[in-house]
Formats: sequence, structure tokens, C-alpha cells
Amino acid sequence: MKSIDWERAAPWGVGTLFFCLIIVLWEMAGQSELKFTTVMPPPSEFLSMVVESGFRIGLGSQAASLDEAILATFGRVFAGMLLAFVAALITGMLIGLSRFVTWCVSPLLFVLAPIAPIAWIPLAIVVFGINNGTAVFIVFMGVYFILTIGTLAEIRRVPEEYITVSGNLGASKWQRWVWVVLPSILPGVFTLLRTNFIAAWMAVLVAEMVGMRDGLGAIIMMGRNLFNNELIMFGMLIIGVSGFLVDRILAFIGKRILWWRV
Amino acid sequence: MNSLSIGPQRPASEAAMVSRQVFELDHLTVNFSTRKGAAVPSPLQNLNLKIEAGRITTILGRSGCGKSTLLRTLGGFIQPEDTGGVVYKQQFMTGPTPEIVMIFQENNLFPWLTVEGNVRFGLRFRQNDGRDKATAVSEILESVGLADAAKQYSHELSGGMRQRTAIARALITRPKVLLLDEPFSALDISLKRHMHTLIRELQEETGTSMVMVTHDVEEAISVGDRVLVLGGNPATLLIDEETRSPAMLDRYSPDYLELQKKVESVIY
Repeated sequence: MKSIDWERAAPWGVGTLFFCLIIVLWEMAGQSELKFTTVMPPPSEFLSMVVESGFRIGLGSQAASLDEAILATFGRVFAGMLLAFVAALITGMLIGLSRFVTWCVSPLLFVLAPIAPIAWIPLAIVVFGINNGTAVFIVFMGVYFILTIGTLAEIRRVPEEYITVSGNLGASKWQRWVWVVLPSILPGVFTLLRTNFIAAWMAVLVAEMVGMRDGLGAIIMMGRNLFNNELIMFGMLIIGVSGFLVDRILAFIGKRILWWRV
Repeated sequence: MNSLSIGPQRPASEAAMVSRQVFELDHLTVNFSTRKGAAVPSPLQNLNLKIEAGRITTILGRSGCGKSTLLRTLGGFIQPEDTGGVVYKQQFMTGPTPEIVMIFQENNLFPWLTVEGNVRFGLRFRQNDGRDKATAVSEILESVGLADAAKQYSHELSGGMRQRTAIARALITRPKVLLLDEPFSALDISLKRHMHTLIRELQEETGTSMVMVTHDVEEAISVGDRVLVLGGNPATLLIDEETRSPAMLDRYSPDYLELQKKVESVIY
């Protein structure tokens, strides 16, 4: 039988215990009816509220089930991130291939990059309407620029030797980009995508709060409009847990699929 | 030595071999230019030199003597001034050719590929020459002693294994010329000597012309058929010695030690 590896288990164990401790203190505060728990009802209250309503959020015919809300948000954030990832790689490589493209694009890039994704919401709603297009676009704007700038930095980091070696072995310029530069930069750009997931996640939630009628962000707004603090707390919990899960998934991809370091 | 079919056979006659050149440096001048376009002369000014085919030529020199620049020029990666150049196959070189393959001190291998994948990469962009790729890869891995490490990634390999993989990947393309830029400097002394024996064996089996730049005097003498020492600015050949006489093969023979002393006296 394998004995428990305490070195590895300790961080998880301590982390979980501390998390539970917070919940317990929160519940105790709720029991003794401390004032802040009217704004922040403890888990037992907002979870039972959600169970009672059969995991449906909202009123009457507009109510959506919880899994629909989660899927809607995940779909938007993943679509936006995937599009931004691919677009950033393509832009970065085009810039890397041609000095002319660099001169044309870089001023634009550096002026657009500091514009917060949220600032695009009014325009996006006019262009795409209140639908998934807007949300995906906002996520895209939230990560595209930083990923493009990151791609350029990664391309500069590709060792000179790789380029020489592959050219030496008969690869054309185009083949070098596909077989050498792209695999060299993928892990780095992906890591950047992971660290910028939080930005994408916030972008989609804000888009949902401002425009959408569904998704996790909309749960919070619905709670606000109905003066339902349980719903707000529940929405926040789901957002936190979902975000954590997505980060774990991205970490797994980074560790298992794009594991190499150049 | 096991027989291998990884390249053209060494020419039968020693005399014929020596008379055949792979490179001729004809009034070679290399200048670099700064960002603002100003010319910065390299030590290579008006250099004339013949490098024979089918053997190993080693080039020694202090840092900054132009030996690495010379090697890169032979590879076609640096374009010399129009007043002369490198003659390869009766023509001035204008750029890299797949017939001339270079091996560096580090960063030779692609970390996302296994040893096998890296070696196979050597054939990816070549015309199919009728060889079965899988067989060719396993044969060459066998000859550099990496058959057991085929599935390993470069971060799992020792420095020596990495360089052997790089050599295998270069040789699988059956290059005419192999250029080695201080390929063994990062290895410890026993691994180094092992690599010296290996590279000589591979050279003798394949007949590939090799030019190796190094700053290790012992390496230059024991690997090279001919040792060149480059020095001065503009660079000239301070020493040009044949080192394959039987007396030279023994590391402790008077001839060997004498040459070592001579070379060290100009370098240090």
C-alpha cells in the first residue's frame, strides 16, 4: 500500500482546512445574526434557496437553469479566448514575417491595447446586438492585444540556432514558421493566455452584467434587481468555483500538452 | 567498426583525397555593418586558404580571432565582400545550402521532439531519396549509440547525448560538409574524448568533409587531420599542420606534445 505523501498533500490539506474554517466562521456569524450577514448570507442560506428553486435562476418564464448559465458563460469565454489565441498567433507571425506589416500594425496595436475591454461594450452592443457576439468580442478584446504583444516577445526569444538549423536542413521560410517558430512560441503564448484568463473572465462577466440576459454575470444583476442577496452570493460562489476549474483545466493543458520550454 | 551506409564512401586513394578541395577561400573579406550602416571590419581580410574534402580540418584561435565568423561564412550564413569569397563547387557561395550542415554548441535540438523526432526532422524537408525513413533513423541512431534513447526528449538527455543526436540529425541528410562550432565545449573531459573518437569514426565511415572550430588545443589535434591556428588582425594562419601522422595518434608521443606546445605558444 502506498503511504500518503505528506509533502504533496500538505498544501492541499491546509488550504482546504482553512477554506472550511472560513465557511464555519461565516455560518456561525449567520447563526448569531451578525449584521453583515444580511448583505452576505452564509452558504447554508443561499444554497438552500437555490436548491428550493430547483436550480433555476430568475422569475417565471425567464428563469434559466443553472447549467445553462454556466454553459453560456463558458462558451463565451472559451470562444473569445480561442479566437484571440489564434488571431494573436497569426498577427504575431505576420508581424514577424514582414517589416512592412510591423510598421503598419504596431502603432495601432499599442494604442488599442490600453483600452479596457469594458469600454468596447457600448460599440459592441450596437454592432452585434445583445447576444453572444458581443460577449465573445469583449473577451477577445480583453486578451487579443496582450497575447499579440506576448507572441512578438516570444518570437524574439526563439534561439537563433533553431532558425539556422532548420534552414540548414532544407526548410523553407514558411516551413520554418510552421515547424519551428510556432512550436517554439506555443507554450509561452499559452502560459500568457492562462495568466490573462482572469481578464477574459472578468470581461465576459461584465458583458453579461451590462448586456446579456443569461450567463453567470446576469445572475448577479438579477439578484441586484430583485434585492435578492442570496442569489448574489450564490452567483459569486459559482463564478469563483468555475473560474478556479477553468484555471485548473488550462494549467493541465499547459503542463501535459504544451509542456516544453524553449 | 560496424559498417554503415550513411554516406558516400571515403575515396580510395589518399592522394586523390588530399588534392580535392571542398572550400577555397579566395581573397575572403568579411565586414559587418552596424545599425546605422557603418562598416565594421572583421579580422577576416583578404584571406586565402584551401580546405580539403573528405577529412577533418580544425580551426583554433583566441576569442575574436574570426574563427566562428569564418565557419559561418563557410556555411553561407554570412555574406562576404564582393572582392572575393568562398569557392564551393567551383562557384562563389551566395547563401546556405542543404549540403552544408552546421552543428552548434547548444540549442541544436528542438525540445518538443524526441531524439527520434529530432533526427527524423533532418529528412522532413528533403526529397525522398528512396530510403525508408524509419530504417534510416534507426540505423543512424545505432551508429551514434542512441538506439535506446530514441523516445527521450532533449531535457532528459545528457549534454553528450544531445550533441550525438545533433550529429545524427546532420549525418542522416548525408551532407557534403559538416561544420562544427565548438560542439563539445560544454562536455566534461571523458565525454569529450568519447565524442572525439565517435566523430572520427563517423567521418571515416561517411567520408564527410568536416570543419570544426574549437578553443581546445587537445581537441583540435586529436580530432583534426589538419590543424589551423588563426590569429592577428587581420587574421593570418599562424600554424597549418597535418596531424594524422602515426606519431601524432598517441597523445603522449613527442610529436604530439611538440605540436601542442607550439600551438599553445601562439594562442596563450
